[in-house]
Amino acid sequence: MRGFTAFLGKELLETVRTWRIWVLPGLVLLFAVTGPPLARVTPAIIDAVGASTPGLVIEMPDPTWKDAYAQWVKNLSQIVTFAIVIIYGGLVSGEIRSGTGVLVLTKPLSRTAFVLAKITSAATLLVTVTILGAVLTLALTYSTFGEAPATVLAVVTGYWLAGAMVLLAVMTLLSTLIRSGAGAAGAGFGVLVAAAALSAFPRVAATTPVGLMLAPSAALAGRPFDAAGPLLSGMLLAVGCVAAAALAFARKEI
Amino acid sequence: MRPLAVRVRGLTKEYGAHRALDGIDLSVPEGAVYGFLGPNGAGKTTTLRILSGLSRPSRGEAQVLGVSVAGGDDAGERLPAAALREVGYLPDVPGFYPWMTAREFLRFSGRLFGIARQELDSRVDALLDLSGLSGVRGRIGGFSRGMRQRLGIAQALVNAPRLLMLDEPTSALDPMGRRDVLDMIGSLRGHTTVLFSTHILTDVERVCDTVGILDSGRVVAEGPLSSLTMPRGVHRFVLEVSDGADRIESALRERSWLAGISRQGNSLSLTADDGTAPQREVPAIVSELGLPLVRFETLETSLEEVFLGLVEGGGGGR
Repeated sequence: MRGFTAFLGKELLETVRTWRIWVLPGLVLLFAVTGPPLARVTPAIIDAVGASTPGLVIEMPDPTWKDAYAQWVKNLSQIVTFAIVIIYGGLVSGEIRSGTGVLVLTKPLSRTAFVLAKITSAATLLVTVTILGAVLTLALTYSTFGEAPATVLAVVTGYWLAGAMVLLAVMTLLSTLIRSGAGAAGAGFGVLVAAAALSAFPRVAATTPVGLMLAPSAALAGRPFDAAGPLLSGMLLAVGCVAAAALAFARKEI
Repeated sequence: MRPLAVRVRGLTKEYGAHRALDGIDLSVPEGAVYGFLGPNGAGKTTTLRILSGLSRPSRGEAQVLGVSVAGGDDAGERLPAAALREVGYLPDVPGFYPWMTAREFLRFSGRLFGIARQELDSRVDALLDLSGLSGVRGRIGGFSRGMRQRLGIAQALVNAPRLLMLDEPTSALDPMGRRDVLDMIGSLRGHTTVLFSTHILTDVERVCDTVGILDSGRVVAEGPLSSLTMPRGVHRFVLEVSDGADRIESALRERSWLAGISRQGNSLSLTADDGTAPQREVPAIVSELGLPLVRFETLETSLEEVFLGLVEGGGGGR
């Protein structure tokens, strides 16, 4: 793990000084800010559409905090998840393509430390902005609806974050194996599609990380869902992916 | 004999059916400024990539500062950390973080070597001075090619290496940038061993004391620069008088050592099998004939002639 601290410091500084600080945080915080107000006005908009169309009657229940949370979870599960695949497609390979990897890897920085610093920095950003977004969603939901159960939001956000961490580990491995960032992102989309298809099988969803794709909406709806299997297997998969990435990178010609 | 900073024996690198290096041997003495010459595609970068631990050889041995590049103590790492700490490396196209300043990049490089803060601060100041970047406050993204190359050499020196490996450090620079970089390399003489790949012969003549010539993956010549450019077999001279060149030509044609002669006006070009006999006898002949001597000198073989002779002629001669 030689050079881990110095390289992680560089990664964190790079996050603050480059486009990285705008894209993922911008996306998450935008959804946090707009989710509760949108949940509040959506029924009124649909009512207005119904009123302007003769013969069409749409009855919408009054919006509640659950609608705001559902909006938050939907945005995380769809748009932010896809953004993770695109942003981190070049997590490891990007430095090799740009030539910076050659300069740092000919110094006493171990390749394992290189990979671990990359994923640690990415995970730090993801966790930080997700927590900030959840806190913002909580505050705005409370101010909009007068009610916002913190535990429910923590559980649904936690399930999504666990799945996002597994996805980040998968992207770390893909970006080590595939030299092109776009290629790794394409493979990442393939993994997501396969996981979505597999989640249709209850037994697979109950025992593998694909269950984490269903866990947030199940928790929000109050449906019984045992997340222990998906969480445990997800953790094992993430550790396995990072270990495989470190091993593959150590053997790679640069 | 000086100890070797780099010792390569039978090094071979194959990419599928293509053999980039074909069993090369190299010996870089400690303290040398070693010019690693070769045309584009000869295998110079491949050799340096193996020596720096970025690539693995298909066969053969390579030692850097006495440590085998294939004998790493960390799975997958070719050059062990102990050796990496004593090596500086500049690739042919160095990539920098455009959002950093030169000072930040040098400090970051130094931290990767684990250099203590106080020592690192003084080294960074000295290297910024050496590279002419001490007054530059802007980020690397706005640097010219020459500034990047000088920063590249500075970062390779941050650990005060015993061996500095530079891959084509002057190839894409303008004349002023080249001069600056060559001056930097020249200033390292006596402090560190420099292994410096290039296809620019004048750069080698200017700063190197030892040369290896690589062609199509094979080393075709290696040794001190002075011995490579020393005449071998055929010696060449030029003789100029202000009058009576025809009389001298007749006198010279009787000498057994003369291999060839041509005249242009009062200037004669001679080739000889012996290097010392013409030096002894030609001035005496001129004196005997009572002719006014303008010029008599031995022509040295230039590095360019040696290089072209080896590379275009197949390299079998030396």
